[in-house]
Amino acid sequence: MKVAYYSPLPPSRSGIADYSALLLPALRERVDVVLARPRARPPAADVALYHIGNEPDAHAWIADALHARPGVVVLHEYVLHHLVAGMTIGRGKGRAYLDAMERDLGVAGRLLGLGVLDNLLPLLWETQPERFPLSGVVLDDARGVIVHSHYVGERARAAGYDGRLWRVPHPVWPMHDVEPAQDVAGDPLIGCFGFLNMNKRIPQLLEAFGSFRRDRPGARLLLVGAAGERFDVGRRLERLGLTEGVDRLDYVPEERMWSLMAACDVLVNLRYPTMGETSGSVIRGLSLGKPLVVSDVGWFAELPDDAVLKVPVDECEVDVIAAALAVAADHGPVLGDAARAYVEREHELGRVADGYVAALEVAAGGDAVDDAVLWRIAEAAAEAGVDDTAALARAARESGIVS
Amino acid sequence: MRVAVCAPQVPFVRGGAELMADDLVTALQTRGHDAELVTIPFKWYPGTRVLDQAFLWRLVDLTESDGRPIDLVIATKFPAYCVRHPNKVAWVLHQFRQAYDYDRTDLGQFSESPEDRATRRAIERLDSVALGEARRVFATSRNVADRLQKHNGIEAEVLPHPPQSLPYREAEPEGFVLSVNRLDRAKRIDLLIEAVKRDPSLRVVITGEGPDRDRLERLAAGLNGQVRFAGRVADDELADLYARSLAVFYAPIDEDFGMVPYEAFLSGKPVVTAHDAGGPLEVVRDRETGVVVAPEAAAVAEACAYLAAHVDEAKAWGRAGRAIAERVTWDACVDALLS
Repeated sequence: MKVAYYSPLPPSRSGIADYSALLLPALRERVDVVLARPRARPPAADVALYHIGNEPDAHAWIADALHARPGVVVLHEYVLHHLVAGMTIGRGKGRAYLDAMERDLGVAGRLLGLGVLDNLLPLLWETQPERFPLSGVVLDDARGVIVHSHYVGERARAAGYDGRLWRVPHPVWPMHDVEPAQDVAGDPLIGCFGFLNMNKRIPQLLEAFGSFRRDRPGARLLLVGAAGERFDVGRRLERLGLTEGVDRLDYVPEERMWSLMAACDVLVNLRYPTMGETSGSVIRGLSLGKPLVVSDVGWFAELPDDAVLKVPVDECEVDVIAAALAVAADHGPVLGDAARAYVEREHELGRVADGYVAALEVAAGGDAVDDAVLWRIAEAAAEAGVDDTAALARAARESGIVS
Repeated sequence: MRVAVCAPQVPFVRGGAELMADDLVTALQTRGHDAELVTIPFKWYPGTRVLDQAFLWRLVDLTESDGRPIDLVIATKFPAYCVRHPNKVAWVLHQFRQAYDYDRTDLGQFSESPEDRATRRAIERLDSVALGEARRVFATSRNVADRLQKHNGIEAEVLPHPPQSLPYREAEPEGFVLSVNRLDRAKRIDLLIEAVKRDPSLRVVITGEGPDRDRLERLAAGLNGQVRFAGRVADDELADLYARSLAVFYAPIDEDFGMVPYEAFLSGKPVVTAHDAGGPLEVVRDRETGVVVAPEAAAVAEACAYLAAHVDEAKAWGRAGRAIAERVTWDACVDALLS
């Protein structure tokens, strides 16, 4: 089977590029993969696989290709408002944006879209994208959807997607010896990796860390990742009196990131609102056997309770983060062992690649199989004078005989 | 209790699976249950036809018969276990192996075409649904249980079944090695014939019929009567052959279960098998109940020669096997299936 593979790839600095770099070798051991390139002729294949994320620069060309040739969509996150805005407003196609808003939200959506176009409303993809995910335009073109979490699968179904859907976990990076970085330290050292913005609950984390550090003055917090626009981490640290306890690093290369993570005693990866995304950073942390503190939302909420500490997003959030940091610091080995066992069991790369192949094989040939079987059932039923062939088709579908 | 034993039937073909289903019905009846065999012809080719045949089972209503409820359904293999029933027990002899471990081997059925690949996936999906809805799933061997776990994530309890009822007896070995099997390539009877070519003193009797017979007979041509094809034999004659043999050769490729070792053991005979024979290895242990060798003619010849030269050891290993076989009873099977 030949698969046309659409994805951002390194050196693109995107989590999905990293994801594909990890997945592709394992996938190539199982099927014939031909890479699609932006602005190049689409490769001939039995089925096309489109990795869709929310970043227009990385994914607009992929969504365009999907629209031209429907195929299997890997929905890396459920909220695609930024992508859709980039592909419509960003290209001077305001009406297409209105259509997308109307597609998901009806007339009210169209009116909201008009408000955005006329600068009467703030940009919805920046202010409240989780309320207006706009994934419908992508789902409409999908001949099958691969998700990483039950959360995204359920949201796609709730949005009316009734096609084939598979859940394939995010793969874990093969374990290799990681030398912990020697130039960072803390007692304990808390690490937070990834883009720093409000969604990552950085203000709440800083406040909780301040409280935690009052009891454990040797504690340090390592923030690794670029800060978002209009998010002044330095000023927040000054206001909280944390300038001495927090170390900041901008974007770091992959090997350095592993090394820094390995040096940490506890990792934190908070999120709210969630766009339905998974976190490569969390997967890395789990595979290193590090105790993790996450928000109790979306994909993060589906992680096993014995492997991560989950913090509800409510009025007690800051206090619970502080308490979770203490528990994680004191029970690191127990949590870490459970974390490592979990990713080895559920996220092993070969198993993930097998999941992809299973989905792609059904997507490539499933329609022909369904047609052949249902046709013969209907034919036999019609010849025998049975006219309720829909019931027969339902029975075939319920049993898994047709997909 | 009213019990429907569900098993597919391949017209004009009869083997271990059919014997097992018949024996199960008899065992249930003997213990006072109202048991009946329910069967549908099975043809698994070409292409997607295998799914139509599975669908036939899906449409069968066995909740009651003639106005009286059927209390339990016991299904033995694909696609019979696709039948729907609120109290379904699957006792899996094997799945449709062309979709699993045979896939992409000489024994496979599905090509690399998208339609064939998707058909294979549909069988996988169907098995997960059909076996997932069973109240209990048993497998006749660890080998079959491991495949269910590996391919479908289904946990099965291992429950071997007794071999067919024959007038088993023990007798002094007359020096020949016996093969009891359907004659098809997966049974690797050619290994035994090739072993004969290497050892002029080795004599074998091959029972059974099957599509590989012509090829095997050609392979055995010119061996001066060292190889005798006995065809399908009656029960008495089969028991007699077992009793008079030196040992029994049984080395199929990754067999599901294999009744033959049990039959050999009940006749006090050791079994010669191969490292990759699958289910038989659960009871044939090297130099305890038989000889386990590489799947090569030279190794088979060497094993047979050893047994011929060490008849007392051969007898002891056969007796050790008998102790294992005697523990597998219909009483235990029926108790487990009805519990």
